[in-house]
Amino acid sequence: MKILILGAGAVGGYWGARLHQAGVDVTFLLREKRAETVRRGGLVVKSPKGDAVVPVKVVTRGEEGGPYDVVILACKAYDLDSAIAAIAPAVGPDTTIVPMLNGHAHFATLDARFGAARVAGGLARISGMLGPNGEILNSGGSGVSFGERDGKPARPALVALDAACRKAGIDGGLNPDINQDLWDKWVMLGTIATMCAAMRGTVGDIVAAEDGAALMRETLEECCRVAAANGHAPNAKVRASLEAGLTQPGSKAVASILGDMEKGGAVEARSIVGDMLARARKAGLPAPNLRFAYAHLQAYEARRARER
Amino acid sequence: MRILILGAGAIGGYVGGRLHQSGADVTFLVRPARREALQRDGLVIKSTKGDITQTVKTVLAGTDGGPYDVVLLTCKAYDLDSAIEAIAPAVGPNTTVVPLLNGMRHIDILAAKFGDAKIVGGLARVGVALSPEGVILHTSPFAAISFGERDGKPARKALAELDAAVKKTGIDGGLHQNIIQDSWDKWIMLCSLASMCCLMRGTSGDILEADEGQAIMLETVEECRKVAAAAGCDPGEKGMANVRSFLTQKGSRFAASMLHDLEKASMVEADHVVGDMIARARKAGIAAPNLRMAYAHLQVYLARRARGGIGKPAL
Repeated sequence: MKILILGAGAVGGYWGARLHQAGVDVTFLLREKRAETVRRGGLVVKSPKGDAVVPVKVVTRGEEGGPYDVVILACKAYDLDSAIAAIAPAVGPDTTIVPMLNGHAHFATLDARFGAARVAGGLARISGMLGPNGEILNSGGSGVSFGERDGKPARPALVALDAACRKAGIDGGLNPDINQDLWDKWVMLGTIATMCAAMRGTVGDIVAAEDGAALMRETLEECCRVAAANGHAPNAKVRASLEAGLTQPGSKAVASILGDMEKGGAVEARSIVGDMLARARKAGLPAPNLRFAYAHLQAYEARRARER
Repeated sequence: MRILILGAGAIGGYVGGRLHQSGADVTFLVRPARREALQRDGLVIKSTKGDITQTVKTVLAGTDGGPYDVVLLTCKAYDLDSAIEAIAPAVGPNTTVVPLLNGMRHIDILAAKFGDAKIVGGLARVGVALSPEGVILHTSPFAAISFGERDGKPARKALAELDAAVKKTGIDGGLHQNIIQDSWDKWIMLCSLASMCCLMRGTSGDILEADEGQAIMLETVEECRKVAAAAGCDPGEKGMANVRSFLTQKGSRFAASMLHDLEKASMVEADHVVGDMIARARKAGIAAPNLRMAYAHLQVYLARRARGGIGKPAL
């Protein structure tokens, strides 16, 4: 099985490095600058599960090779258009695309471009960030989840990818109900991103405010109702565990979107918060907290554009 | 008439400096470090209305030279308790205390401490800051203060004299016939702007770039108006039209000073400007979801500041 991974960030880089270490045939499709760094020094991984320098195969646009059996899309939502253009030459009739993006908005775009049959569902629970020299700083979480969006038995490419993940020590893998998992993750992310962005603090800071825990629960409720309107309400156990984590006093948990904002970086405002709000509106659901957060993120983007 | 000014910070330094410049008998009540700086460098004002450096009278304790006819209170709301303690010895039976603070909550606190009759209403509209070197930087094209009897009766002699002294300084405003309404007018504007600029972390122009930025801004103004109306101080259609048009100017670079405070990791008047507006909304049964969100934002900021987390990466 030949795998192409677009992006060598905290998600794609970590996953691909571990696959390569396990002997899987992995190629990274990268931008010139990133390609040069990785070609020169390998992928540098720092993780509680073991540090490593991994000499992976790297290609840039125009030298994709392929077609590949699996193309893993590990870009940010705001880079989706350029990512689609980049992978297109590597996608053949039998290629399976596994997007690891947050939210749901990317599926319509990918289906329209490549046909729904080639697009599986996927998500990452790999926590980490890139260090100043492009090193992958993994904080321990290293799970992925993927599967058929129609719930049918998995195609051979996904079964093979699942086997490769097991060999590589990556948690999760094939999920028979990937749509539910996607919604569960989006509900969690939508809630924590909304609150950490609008409040500019960690979960612990938010819970320290008089109405902080109440606002967090309201936001979770807004997201859960949107998921329910789409037929994917989180089950009671998932919800209880989300609520407990999101209202824990002193918690240092924080949405990565806040880190992006405090670095003056681009944010996945539309895919994580804006699209959740749009779906609330479409379903006639009130979502005041999502609305504040989306306005906050848009004001951030306006200011970022103005001050650059 | 003898005037004591608590502190020689931004507002107190500017107003006191201009009063002194135009011949009023002004004394500044300051801390030892500030006194030393003032004796060394003078009171330095850099202003759109002209720069000046002056030697001014200072005292370290309210007992010195008191009691005074007028005490101008220009502290931040979060310093009110220590300010009250500092001015207490300077307040005699015939002293009038003129607070130039934002909001309304300090009025009851001051009246309880000094007696209702000694406390009048007052506010400042001056865009001014204190530089780290102690220079008073007045950057706004406007500089106005406003004060008057809270019961709307004719002004006592001390206020009439203060009005005459202010008129000589070039500072606009002065004695106001309805200072309580004026205080509400300013509070509505300030609370709306501070709530939104802090919650959204941007200028009013940045906020208006968001799809629903204008709607959220106008809702917030309306929350504040309802609270004022419940206190019998609705600014009326003309007053509200001014506030709304000011806060919905596309491309405006205007931001509440509270946002600058947030971005400098400084203390903020969150309780006084926003928290008290919410408390009054609750008491009057008025829904104030936007103010609630903004107040939570400010409390989160204060929690993060208290643990030393401002300026450090959140991740």
